[in-house]
Amino acid sequence: MQGAVPPTTPAQEIREFGLAALESSLFHLSLGTIQRPLLCTSASKLLSPSDTTTPSSLVQKSTLHTSAGNQSWERPRGPRKWLVNNQTKFEPTPFGEQERPAYVCHVKENIKYSPDKMWYVACLVRGMKIDDAIHQLQFVHKKGAVAVREALEEAQELAVRNHNVEFKSNLWVSESFVGKGLVIKGFRRHARRRFGQVKYKHCHYFVTLEEGEPPEHYYPNSRKLTPQEMLEEWLESKRQRTIPMSL
Amino acid sequence: MRQTCSVFQPPPARPNRWRHRRMKEKGVQPVRPWMEKPVFISATSGTFEAYVPPEGDGKVSATLAAGAKQKFEFLEKKGKSMMAIRKIRQFDEDFDPKVFAEEAQQIYVDMHKALADFDKVKLHQMVTERAFPMVTNQVRNKTLRWQFVSSLEPPRVVHARCTDVISKENIFAQVTVRFHTKQTLAVYDRFGRLQHGSEVVAKDVLEYVVFEKHVANTYGVWRIHDKIIPDWMPPRQPSYKTYKAEEQTPEETEVAVVEEKEQKVAETAVA
Repeated sequence: MQGAVPPTTPAQEIREFGLAALESSLFHLSLGTIQRPLLCTSASKLLSPSDTTTPSSLVQKSTLHTSAGNQSWERPRGPRKWLVNNQTKFEPTPFGEQERPAYVCHVKENIKYSPDKMWYVACLVRGMKIDDAIHQLQFVHKKGAVAVREALEEAQELAVRNHNVEFKSNLWVSESFVGKGLVIKGFRRHARRRFGQVKYKHCHYFVTLEEGEPPEHYYPNSRKLTPQEMLEEWLESKRQRTIPMSL
Repeated sequence: MRQTCSVFQPPPARPNRWRHRRMKEKGVQPVRPWMEKPVFISATSGTFEAYVPPEGDGKVSATLAAGAKQKFEFLEKKGKSMMAIRKIRQFDEDFDPKVFAEEAQQIYVDMHKALADFDKVKLHQMVTERAFPMVTNQVRNKTLRWQFVSSLEPPRVVHARCTDVISKENIFAQVTVRFHTKQTLAVYDRFGRLQHGSEVVAKDVLEYVVFEKHVANTYGVWRIHDKIIPDWMPPRQPSYKTYKAEEQTPEETEVAVVEEKEQKVAETAVA
């Protein structure tokens, strides 16, 4: 990977070197399989074929029941509880009561984007209808917007396929938030023997789509007041005045 | 710890821990550890020589009723089904198709009740390993309410076959039973909304269910193995909600294109 890098200025070279190494490590991490040799060099001498074993060229190798790559079990990383919300089962609605709206929870893991920057995109989409959200995200000039759009489209498909949602446009974004994902730390050199830490941040994007019409105000406490309400507030503030040192 | 009291064992000339070295010098392979997991085949993978239900079965008519009776007698007197029933009687002396049909209906009803409750333990007793995923496929996050109203016709054994798996003595028996019953089914989705069917409206159901038993096993039990859906069976009641029709898959289009090409070639050859 380093050999393929074209000649550049020393600073760029260093950065690219770091990134390339990290990218390759990222690649391995995302795959979940690290190609390790099954035997160490010293052990291979002991188990070299002797006179009694058949030569490897004559042995018929079958591709069944052979597993390459990482032999050890790796602990699953990333969000584990979010998708469990998709498996809750509710009792049939009793006669006369209003039907419960359908919802689907979806997550897009380890998006290569900073969670702080992704927060802005998540906030934009909150409380919007699914079609409006997808159209708006097309014109947001942020890298995270692409991932959020994909997540919304996937969630919409899942809702129709698995969660008995009849109309794919009859959904709205009820929950949209970001979580911290993988952080890979690297180093970069500064002038005068100083070192800086470089963080390659990832984020998880969580979304819940609910069936039905979205509420008028997603944050009712911080909504824009109507003229009537504004007048009442003004009147209240004037009524609460006291004249100090009066009779 | 070695035995010390009864048997006298002279100490070895070389310690036991260097046994591997001695074996290696002589070129003897080390003893391979015995790692075997026993596999027990409890059910076959499909239906052998499936029953082909006659067309127009289930439609009430006087002439057909007479015809159906003739076919029933046919089963009793000769044919492969008769031989299969005799084979079953070798292992199970009291096997009688008429009695078995009633037992089969009871298993059918119990199976549906267990499915509605999603009692996995009971379901495994009613249903073979091969049929279990087919039966529980779309039931996981849903609530089923199933009622057996009545039986329109008495259940009938229409087909029987015996097969041997791996060895000649290991025999599995498969018997097809015809049920014509009245049932109600209501499926509620994850959120408690009615997705399919109705709790009140009863439907006439004609089904051909294959029961299997591992007769060579003394503890074998008759369990539901498969269901035969004939081509002439009308489609089920569609669900309430609307859905987008799936687009034709590339496989189907490729086949259609190949067929068209073949037709064109034939036409040009003829011309």
